[in-house]
Amino acid sequence: MEQIDKIIFGDNQFFGINHMSQEKAQQLAEQFYDIENIYKVYHLAYDAGVRAFMLNSHARAYDICKYFKENESSFEGVSWYPSIPYAYKYANLVAEKGIMPAINEVLFNDNTLGGVLGMIAKGGVAVLTKDAFKLMQMLVDVELRAFKDMNIKVAFLQNIITDLMLGYGVKEIFYEFCEHIRKRYNALPGLVTQNMPYLKSKLEEWGIAEVVICSSFNKIGYLMSPDRDSYISSANNNDSSKYQLIAMSTLASGAIPAREAYEFIKQQNIQSIVFGASSKGHIEETLRLINI
Amino acid sequence: MNDRSKIKIGIIGMGRMGITHYSIINSHPAVKLESIADPSGFVLSMINKYLPVKTFKDYNELFAESKIDAVLVCTPPNFHFPIVQKAAENGIHVFVEKPFTTKLNESSELARIYSVNGLVNQVGYVNRFNDIFGKVKEFIENEVIGKIIRFKSEMFSCTISKSDGSSGWRNSRESGGGVIFEMASHAIDLVNFLIGKPDKVTGSSFNHIYSKNVEDAVSSTFLYRNGISGTIYINWSDTSYRKPTNKIEIFGDSGKILADQHSLKIFLNKSNEKYKLKQGWNTLYITDVFKPVPFYVRGNEFTSQLWHFVDCIQGKEKTNRCTFADGVDTLEVIENIYNDYELNGKI
Repeated sequence: MEQIDKIIFGDNQFFGINHMSQEKAQQLAEQFYDIENIYKVYHLAYDAGVRAFMLNSHARAYDICKYFKENESSFEGVSWYPSIPYAYKYANLVAEKGIMPAINEVLFNDNTLGGVLGMIAKGGVAVLTKDAFKLMQMLVDVELRAFKDMNIKVAFLQNIITDLMLGYGVKEIFYEFCEHIRKRYNALPGLVTQNMPYLKSKLEEWGIAEVVICSSFNKIGYLMSPDRDSYISSANNNDSSKYQLIAMSTLASGAIPAREAYEFIKQQNIQSIVFGASSKGHIEETLRLINI
Repeated sequence: MNDRSKIKIGIIGMGRMGITHYSIINSHPAVKLESIADPSGFVLSMINKYLPVKTFKDYNELFAESKIDAVLVCTPPNFHFPIVQKAAENGIHVFVEKPFTTKLNESSELARIYSVNGLVNQVGYVNRFNDIFGKVKEFIENEVIGKIIRFKSEMFSCTISKSDGSSGWRNSRESGGGVIFEMASHAIDLVNFLIGKPDKVTGSSFNHIYSKNVEDAVSSTFLYRNGISGTIYINWSDTSYRKPTNKIEIFGDSGKILADQHSLKIFLNKSNEKYKLKQGWNTLYITDVFKPVPFYVRGNEFTSQLWHFVDCIQGKEKTNRCTFADGVDTLEVIENIYNDYELNGKI
């Protein structure tokens, strides 16, 4: 399987996400409400040597992708690691309308999706419901539209969906997602999870390999179910030709000092680290600590 | 553990919460998911195709034909009463989603039945299982901020952000829709859990923002005979919030607590040795108090609450942390808010 980038720059910091503190999240949300401030940080990251970016399919992802496409010459050699779907959009839609009307709205009421309408012609949702995988593929395609013509290296399913599906224990949904990403996008399938050891053991059991797994991985075991030691031993026993592991939340949202956090991470058998930062100093310091 | 000795569980209602609970409870090693009831043909056809459970269009059929020990009730709230009644007739442990029922007399009846039948009964007020709010409760019980005097319980989200002619159950109070049943119930339960049930509700006001038939924002004042007073304010059409946020502020005679689901600040007039808290401001983050869960889907608290339900069935836990009686208390406050608004809230 193709090697993934050792260091990936994430985007949670731009979207007012901080797992530890809603107050910090609020500060970030204010700082990055102006999208120009986001572009500035991307330039800082690129200038510091970052060549891989993870981006959630948030509403603002369209603008960010557009910016990168329009300024291609400033961002040569960049790989993308999109993560879909933006779950809150669906959660709110489902709360407002119910499950089927929400799917209907995402697939049909968005005027930019003429292609999808054409594919289904007259049958509409009724046709789709006969085939859950077709439905899943179409939702994936809708979510990845923003990344059209960009160099997608790995396309991830976000943890809220991965872990929900993992609980159901249905092999087919994982198999079909992975195949769709490989065939349609010529990219590696990725799964974000908060249950890495369990997910990896299920994938092994199901014979689904050459998958990238991204999970929280930090010294204090934060957002690592069932516990930190299971993560360490699962990573130690991993065959990286089958599963490449990415660590996220390495600082546990700031609970662990950077140096200590990366010292721990570098002892683990993992292939890549995704990090978020919003200043030149932090970006450069993180790159230095990871590379030491 | 072989399948025969496992707790057999059914789920009624496969909407947003039913879907989540299935995933969480299915990962529990002592549980076997036995059956599902949901009226949607689409949902049942998907389940039949991929999942190893029995399915029923009607919950009555589920109770008649599927042998289960416990049920998770996740239908719209106006169906909770007849379903839980049926569960009681069949001697089944019940986890029911909040707001328990839509009528106080119905919920009192269910609490009465379950107070004597020896079966586990739990309502899905998930904040009680959040590690931060659990810590706040511990601080209050140990009088870390002294005697409680005032509080403020707030909740914000951008759940309803468009005017829409939607006709689902969420658009009528009778079926359990509106911000009070759906969201304020969490903020009210948090008050009941941390401070206690108010003796009087006053000054209630409602706002319509996007919904025609139900309220989108509510505020109210709670009074207590012991002198405590506090306010609640809940708004589910606040687009400045990316995801639902619960905030609580509690003022005591020797300090103050500010908490949300992720962090806790505590101001003390004097240092506290037992909890190693200094005079002035102290900050605790969720990373300081979290307890890892065996399987994570939507947040530790969602797993913890269902694991707790199973622990209670297995007898590992003697006291349920959110019983039907607790659900009745919240519903009583909700009814008082509606009544106060009808009597005094309009000009």
